[in-house]
Amino acid sequence: MSISKKIVLLGHFGVGKSSLIRRFVENTFSDDYKVTIGVHILKKSVQIDGTDLSMIIWDIEGNEKVQKTRNSYLMGTAGYIYVFDASRPSTYESINEDLTYLKGLLPNVPMHLVGNKVDLIDLPELKKILTKKNIDCKYFASAKTGDNVETIFESLGKQLI
Amino acid sequence: MNASDKLEILKELLLTDERKYAESITKKLEVLEETVNKRNKLLPKVEPIIDDKLEEFVEDIPKTLGPTITAALKEEIANSQDAVVEALFPIMGRMIKRYVQHEMQLLQENITEQINSRFTIKGIKRRLKAKSAGVSEAELMLIEQGASKLHQLFVIEKGSGIIKASLTKDNTIDHDMIAGMLTAIKSFVEDAFQSGEQELQQIQYDLYTIHIQNFSQYYIAVVLSGIFDTKTQGKLEDLLLNFAQHKINKTDLTNQQEFSNKLKAYFTNEYI
Ligand SMILES: Nc1nc2c(ncn2[C@@H]2O[C@H](COP(=O)(O)OP(=O)(O)OP(=O)(O)O)[C@@H](O)[C@H]2O)c(=O)[nH]1
Ligand SMILES: [Mg+2]
Repeated sequence: MSISKKIVLLGHFGVGKSSLIRRFVENTFSDDYKVTIGVHILKKSVQIDGTDLSMIIWDIEGNEKVQKTRNSYLMGTAGYIYVFDASRPSTYESINEDLTYLKGLLPNVPMHLVGNKVDLIDLPELKKILTKKNIDCKYFASAKTGDNVETIFESLGKQLI
Repeated sequence: MNASDKLEILKELLLTDERKYAESITKKLEVLEETVNKRNKLLPKVEPIIDDKLEEFVEDIPKTLGPTITAALKEEIANSQDAVVEALFPIMGRMIKRYVQHEMQLLQENITEQINSRFTIKGIKRRLKAKSAGVSEAELMLIEQGASKLHQLFVIEKGSGIIKASLTKDNTIDHDMIAGMLTAIKSFVEDAFQSGEQELQQIQYDLYTIHIQNFSQYYIAVVLSGIFDTKTQGKLEDLLLNFAQHKINKTDLTNQQEFSNKLKAYFTNEYI
């Protein structure tokens, strides 16, 4: 059986949304920063438990405020990934607020919170900070090293079928 | 001449007053001088008059001589029409031809660019077809450009942009990505202009027109090339509305394969 599902990546400017997708879809990485304008759509097919899942991935432009995201980009999404930059506290300071907002907008839609760029930081240190801020984050990745990227997309995929 | 005559001459030569002679020469010189001066004084006064007269003369030629000349020419032309046509034809012909050529060249450049930019299987096919039909490839493209040709048709779920069915001739780009981008563009435009209930109905891209027919849960996007005027648009809309009304049922939206087969069976003619 084969199915197609829409997935959206959200988060502040430059947290590495496009890089994570590029790592997942093409297994490449670049240090150049090319700002995404509007939305860019990529696709990757994966086999999960005998099902062919086409992930139609919407790479949305970054926003200082998640409230500013165009609703139409979120419409009809089967799941989403909220990305923050582990090396820049400003990108995760208001995470709980942002996630509450998104949950209100997309009730019952599977979500993964991902801290990216872990190659730049001391992970145990970050986890401490996050706990202090009451931020519950299970996924940490690096688009640069490829660490955890596939796992994250596939575990979200599992929740979609 | 006798001796006394000779003597007379000699007397005169020797005895005539020198002063008298000089006087006569001076008089002659004065006359000469006066003539020269008068001429110089006259010239500036006379010259403009002459010029004016000349100009007038030239100006008057058409008035005075013109009718005569025209009449003569008319008669000449009437008497030798063939010769005149012969003489003018190359000039006018060249003018017209140059204009047409220019226009054709623009068109040709357009088409050549298209051929070069889309070096696809379709291009090669066209080349073969052109060869076997004995027409130029560009000519064939002109025919192809004239009518509105259906290239791709997608039934796309609103919001998610997921394809529910498709009908497609060329398999160039990934359809899921096209459908996603189309949906993104569509919602962007609809958001951006705060159009309320209004929905995007057409996108023009290069030589293509993407016609969008909106329904409540999905929309149908049709990619066409060639002339897409109101008449063609009306025809296409009828086709799509008919299809939606009589052919699409609820289960189709969950069965892509069957839905696509239906599309294929319905849209058999690739020209609208
Ligand atoms: N060291 C390191 N750098 C990264 C990583 N991921 C992304 N970057 C860099 O961060 C910058 C921004 O990455 P993008 O992927 O363009 O970020 P984005 O979230 O798509 O940005 P916007 O489209 O503007 O919202 C680029 O210079 C990337 O090379 C990572 O895991 N480690
Ligand atoms: Mg980006």
